[in-house]
Amino acid sequence: MKRNWRNHLATIISIVLGLLIIYFGTDGLHAFTAESARTYRLMQEQPAFPEVTLEDSKERVYTLSEFEGKYVFLTFIYTACTDVCPVLELNLKEVYDQLPEKYIGEEIVFLSVSFDPDRDDPETLETYRIAFGSDGETWRMARIPDKEELQALLEEFGVIVIPDGNGGFAHNSAFYFVDREGYLIEVMDYQQTEKAAEKVLQVLESELEG
Amino acid sequence: MKSLLLGICMIIVLALPPMRELLESVMIVHMLVQLPLLIIFGWIIGKYLLQRFPGFFANWNGNGIPGIIIVIFVTTYWMIPRAVDEALTYPAVELFKFISLPIVGILLADSWKKILLIGRSFVFLNYLSMFGLMAWLYIDAPIQICNNYLVAEQKALGWGFVIITAAMVLFTLQYVFIDHSENLPSE
Repeated sequence: MKRNWRNHLATIISIVLGLLIIYFGTDGLHAFTAESARTYRLMQEQPAFPEVTLEDSKERVYTLSEFEGKYVFLTFIYTACTDVCPVLELNLKEVYDQLPEKYIGEEIVFLSVSFDPDRDDPETLETYRIAFGSDGETWRMARIPDKEELQALLEEFGVIVIPDGNGGFAHNSAFYFVDREGYLIEVMDYQQTEKAAEKVLQVLESELEG
Repeated sequence: MKSLLLGICMIIVLALPPMRELLESVMIVHMLVQLPLLIIFGWIIGKYLLQRFPGFFANWNGNGIPGIIIVIFVTTYWMIPRAVDEALTYPAVELFKFISLPIVGILLADSWKKILLIGRSFVFLNYLSMFGLMAWLYIDAPIQICNNYLVAEQKALGWGFVIITAAMVLFTLQYVFIDHSENLPSE
């Protein structure tokens, strides 16, 4: 019986230790995949949109300051993508359509950023733009020609892109909501368009009224 | 002494960058070869430690329960998709992998003998259901669960878990239906 207390103590310690591992390993049971962990971390950090030069489907070249004072709702895509990107774009359009027209272009701009600048030249982007019914003004499609700048942006926003060996890419997808000052304030599930639109509207209205 | 050196050397070999690259580039090899190997080499080290410090294990892991609790928690952690993903992204998590899993092996070497048939059955069936769940998760998930691995690799891993689960079910069936009374003297 004498050595028993050590065994009991060790049992308690091991349970506590085990729970701590699981707790910290999942950000307090918040994130069980690296993707949810990434989203969680981004919302805590709210990184700034880095200085990048965009070239859009109309061959206009500008930086994010083009949208200064406006919210930007963006996604990352590549036009050769056949699986998730079309869905992503359709869903982006759904969010776009759900917002009141008075805000579009005035308070908020939509942006699809290609991470495949080699293939997605303005011409390709233009075709893509027409296919998805974007107006090219309040919803723009653009590439980042400078690969270093592109990499910096992907890293800052935690976008992981891996070539799949067939000329395509596997990548994580989400909606990114950037505020008027260029800080990422929200990362949203791209499959829940209504929730995303609601959130955007809530942010816009609370600000405009207040 | 020999087993200590062997175990440590093998873990160091596994930790060499080219070896890590090789084993971690494919999801199924990462999960079902590298992780188990780390546990096995820990087990080998454990054999030595048990002989060398029997008092410590008798005192602190007398009935084997503390050890097996750690084993279950740590292996559960390594089955969270995120853990494997982050081992590739963050060096600290990678380091934790190379420390925690050999410790699992060491504790398993001690605890497995001590927890008796009932404890072993509990642990075994616990893992059987867990592996079955992982198989379903990885095969059926419509999305890419890990940022560092493709969906096809994820599916391959799922089928790997199916095979393991099937093997465990077969083992259970033969255990239940075949007479083992001859070679089970102690229980």
